[in-house]
Amino acid sequence: MKPFVYTGLLITLCACQPAAESESESRSMGNLLGATTAQYAEVLPEKQFSFPADHQAHNDFRQEWWYLTANLIDEQGQPLGLQWTQFRFGLTPNTEELPQDWQASQLYMAHSAITTKEQHWAEEKWSRGIPELAGVSANPFAVFIDNWRWQGSTNNLFPASLSVQEDDFSYQLQLSASAPLQLQGQQGYSVKNAAADVASYYYSQPYIQITGEVTLAGITKKVSGMGWLDREWSSQFLTDSQQGWDWFALRFNNQTTLMLFQLRADEASGQPHFYAGNLMQPDGSNQPLASSDIQMTAQAWQQTSTANYPVSWRLTIPSQQLDITINALNPNANMPLSIPYWEGPIQFSGSHQGDGYMELTGY
Amino acid sequence: MNSQLNSSLVCLQVFGHHYRRAPLQAGAILIGIILAITLLIGVRATNESAIASYQNATELLSQRADVRLNPPDSQRYFNQDYYFALRHAGYSNLLPVIRGKVYDNNNQSYPLYGSDIIAALSLNSGQDNFQGQQTISNQTLPMARLLMAEPLLVTSQSFADQLGLQDNITLNGQTIELMVLDDRYGLGNTLLADISFAQQLLDAPKQLSYIAMFYPEQGLKQALLAADLLPADLVFSVQDQGQSLMALTNSFHLNLNAMSMLAFIVGLFIAYNGVRYSLMKRQKLLVQLLQSGISRRHLMLALFSELTVMVIIGAVIGFVLGLQLSQWLQPMIAVTIESLYNARLLPGIWHWSWLLQAIILTLLAAVLASIPLYLNLSRQPLAQGASQHNQYHTGYRSAKYQAMAAVALLFVSGLLLPFSQQFQFSLILMALVTLAIPLLLPWSLQRMSQGLTRLKLSGLKGYMLAETKELIAPLSLAMMAILLALCANIAMNTLVGSFDHTLRQWLDIRLHTDVYTNPEPAKIEATETFLKQHPNVTALHYQWFSQDKYQGLPISLVSFDDETLIDTSPLKQHIDNFWPQFLAGSVVMISEPMAIKHNLQPGDQLYLTEHQPETPLTVGAIYYDYGNPKGQIQFNQKAWLALGLHPQPNGIGASYQGDVLELEQQLQQQVGLLPRQMFNQTSVRAKAITIFNRTFSITVALNSLTLIVAAIGLFSACLMLTQARQAPLARLTALGVSKIQLRLMLVVQMLIIVLFTCLIALPMGSLLSYLLINKVTLQAFGWTIPILWDWQAYGQAIVTAVLTSLIAISLPLWWQTRKPTIHSLQQEVL
Repeated sequence: MKPFVYTGLLITLCACQPAAESESESRSMGNLLGATTAQYAEVLPEKQFSFPADHQAHNDFRQEWWYLTANLIDEQGQPLGLQWTQFRFGLTPNTEELPQDWQASQLYMAHSAITTKEQHWAEEKWSRGIPELAGVSANPFAVFIDNWRWQGSTNNLFPASLSVQEDDFSYQLQLSASAPLQLQGQQGYSVKNAAADVASYYYSQPYIQITGEVTLAGITKKVSGMGWLDREWSSQFLTDSQQGWDWFALRFNNQTTLMLFQLRADEASGQPHFYAGNLMQPDGSNQPLASSDIQMTAQAWQQTSTANYPVSWRLTIPSQQLDITINALNPNANMPLSIPYWEGPIQFSGSHQGDGYMELTGY
Repeated sequence: MNSQLNSSLVCLQVFGHHYRRAPLQAGAILIGIILAITLLIGVRATNESAIASYQNATELLSQRADVRLNPPDSQRYFNQDYYFALRHAGYSNLLPVIRGKVYDNNNQSYPLYGSDIIAALSLNSGQDNFQGQQTISNQTLPMARLLMAEPLLVTSQSFADQLGLQDNITLNGQTIELMVLDDRYGLGNTLLADISFAQQLLDAPKQLSYIAMFYPEQGLKQALLAADLLPADLVFSVQDQGQSLMALTNSFHLNLNAMSMLAFIVGLFIAYNGVRYSLMKRQKLLVQLLQSGISRRHLMLALFSELTVMVIIGAVIGFVLGLQLSQWLQPMIAVTIESLYNARLLPGIWHWSWLLQAIILTLLAAVLASIPLYLNLSRQPLAQGASQHNQYHTGYRSAKYQAMAAVALLFVSGLLLPFSQQFQFSLILMALVTLAIPLLLPWSLQRMSQGLTRLKLSGLKGYMLAETKELIAPLSLAMMAILLALCANIAMNTLVGSFDHTLRQWLDIRLHTDVYTNPEPAKIEATETFLKQHPNVTALHYQWFSQDKYQGLPISLVSFDDETLIDTSPLKQHIDNFWPQFLAGSVVMISEPMAIKHNLQPGDQLYLTEHQPETPLTVGAIYYDYGNPKGQIQFNQKAWLALGLHPQPNGIGASYQGDVLELEQQLQQQVGLLPRQMFNQTSVRAKAITIFNRTFSITVALNSLTLIVAAIGLFSACLMLTQARQAPLARLTALGVSKIQLRLMLVVQMLIIVLFTCLIALPMGSLLSYLLINKVTLQAFGWTIPILWDWQAYGQAIVTAVLTSLIAISLPLWWQTRKPTIHSLQQEVL
């Protein structure tokens, strides 16, 4: 989930299109998105998901991503976080095949990062969506940009290999998963504000077994661990008054996983923050959490090269007798890319123990 | 301390009142300073903008590439699959580019640059972004439309203005929407398109002109070769950081600088003249100040403060005007640089530091020039006060010293000139001569007017001649300035005239084919077959082109068929028995610019950088080349192939009996060549002459400006002098000389001085022409130009000088005749 990575992008990418008059005076993403959503498909409740078709790109929606985080350990037992994301941004709501070379209606961006206790590497790639360079293909399933590639062996997400090669780091991973996919929110309809008028389609696979090799600064290590994939698409993501986003993927030692996010309201708006969460089990069962159930407070901040981020949190969910303190494995895991944000592995302790991933945007 | 300051302030106040009464004096000083600085800053801004453009030559909307993958010389494009292969291998910091020319309905061509806009912009993230730099997340382009291959072009404001382009343009028969971006985005004089539309517009589907690589050059070639990513269709070419362009254009910019320095000096002459005149007029006032108890030191302090204030005011105005001037000069220079050196010019730059430097330079020059005046004044005994000192004697003595200095300068430069090999050095020697010319003037004028008095005329005529001699000293500075400008004018006009003549003669030899065709590689064979079978084609001529570098500078490699080589290579120097050796492929010939730039002689050996760098080439001959400031090597086919260069020709020429337009039409219809792929002799000649005459257009423009500056100087000097002479003239009127006689006398006096100056300007201008052509231009551009004396230019220069002086004296005369004689008589008392 990366709304803020693309907020800035969408403003400028769509600035060329005629913006309809809006009731609100403020020039914000909300207005621009609101003005043009009409041309894009709308996110509606009670969608019937259909796989593997929904693993593919939904070009009739404005934005979409394939988003993997992983908590791995190397041969020495040292923890290591890994992130791979490919974003799609629609420039025009086009679902037709484009006849001409280079002609494109979609823009792809990919991020790749590795985080150890001491270091953090992050890279970005951009490309127009043309079959030669970047896109999603169906049979076999693949998501790719240049030489970064999620390559399935069937038309399903798994089993797959994921390879990324950069000068500073590279990895080659085998991914497999047998647990059922988890539809977030109401059957995959994930609401983003209290009024429930902004939402996305959202499903996850929190139980991915990963093995493979990671090369850091020329040293190749065998790694293994658990990964988590999020798939999300929509045409409008945030409201005018929402300013930032804190997202958590928590993996308890007993296999339970918790997806949790906080959408921070703009202070000036006077609105409360919006929370959502989902407790998930490997058998596919889950228990959504109400916004009022969730309490979180930032405990410690880290000034990075791009912004000041709350890298330590206290999270309490009284209905679940959960009271934990979350700490970043490496507080300097900021992503100084086209739109800067923070993303890195975390560990938590308290009433429950485990690890996971955290994303902080809009700071 | 306070009282000291006070007395200087009192002086300044007094001066202020003085200038309020005589604004002309302050005006003359200011005009000189303003003119000097305007030209200095104008040329500087123009030059530095150009140099900054070479250094910041980035891909459009993107960064500077370290390496380019080009097609081989025989091809215009290569397939885009090579680009995809590189991306799949992980080379993401690449930019695919397709370039070409597009034509409007009037067959006017425009350069088109098409690139993957997303790749171009994504390279900017994480870079040190300058103002106006665009990134994907922060840009103003209509991305969605560009990527959908909509007919949309982006261009810079100045290019659109220059061409008078509106919202739409029809190119290659297609109506295209035009989007105009601010100049700071650095699009230069190019039309930018997304590659999706550019390939379509250029009718080159799946083709690329080059791939720009944004990776350090170190080890890159090896890595690409090892990964099998550098097939024979791609040529790995390292981009320099603008050095070669800077080296190529070095002489061009130096010439401009020299011209601006000349204009600066001419401007200073005017300012100096103004200072001197105002001191002369204030002599009494200054003595009165001294008599009223103000110390000499404070008086000096006040005078220097006055000068500083004038310099600062003049410099600020000149700075603003200079930046404006550079706005006018830049399009002119852009055309030259783009057509001659193929460089893209970015919008103008300027720095505040230039203003400071200009103030310091001017102040230094003004103070140095005024010190003798001030010292002279401060040494003046108080008692001498009101009495006029003998201007003639001081004038005569200083004129003699100046002439001696001039002779010494001429002697030194004459002595050193034969040894000068570098154009920079020649330029310095030329500066010495330029300095000597005005220094020689007052003495020469005095000798000449002395000669006139020998005519022993009586009455008013005698008086007139005698007085003319007296006028030389006060007018000498203005005359020096006009002499300098005249000499420079004569020299430049001679250079341009001679060059034009030489170029035309050279083109006659060089262009011996009636029609040149430049087909795309796929149509070469068809073109050849067609021409061979055509009954009216009497001969075929083949051309091969390639590029290389010699000692870091780009050079072109060319080859023709033997007949063409023999017919079209006017040789300057050659080894014995040259032609047999050349035709056997054992020696090559190099162009004169290359020989001069690298000091190569027949018999020398040279090594290329890219093609077989270990094989030596022997220079067999040097041929004249006025078509190219770049170096060029001509090969016979055997030598060409031995170097591993492509065997298929790039162009075919045909000798044709009949109407060439007919042949062009047939080629168009039967072979499918485009009109732009064919050139006939007449059009090539016309184009060549236009382009190369432009090389000098900016210098000519500057030169005319200098002449105008000098004319203004002469005007102000005449004006001041005529005003100063109001009393003696009124005396003559009182003695019964009629107004007509008086006016005639004034005009004749001025004409005598001006014509004498012109008389000196002729030989001196010729001397400068000689140096400019045979030393500076030869060494800077590598062009031997036989001098062609342009009498019309001399006439023009003389007429300008005479007209200026006539206007300059008639205006104060007219003023004077409107005033009663008694008023003028009173001038002496006041």
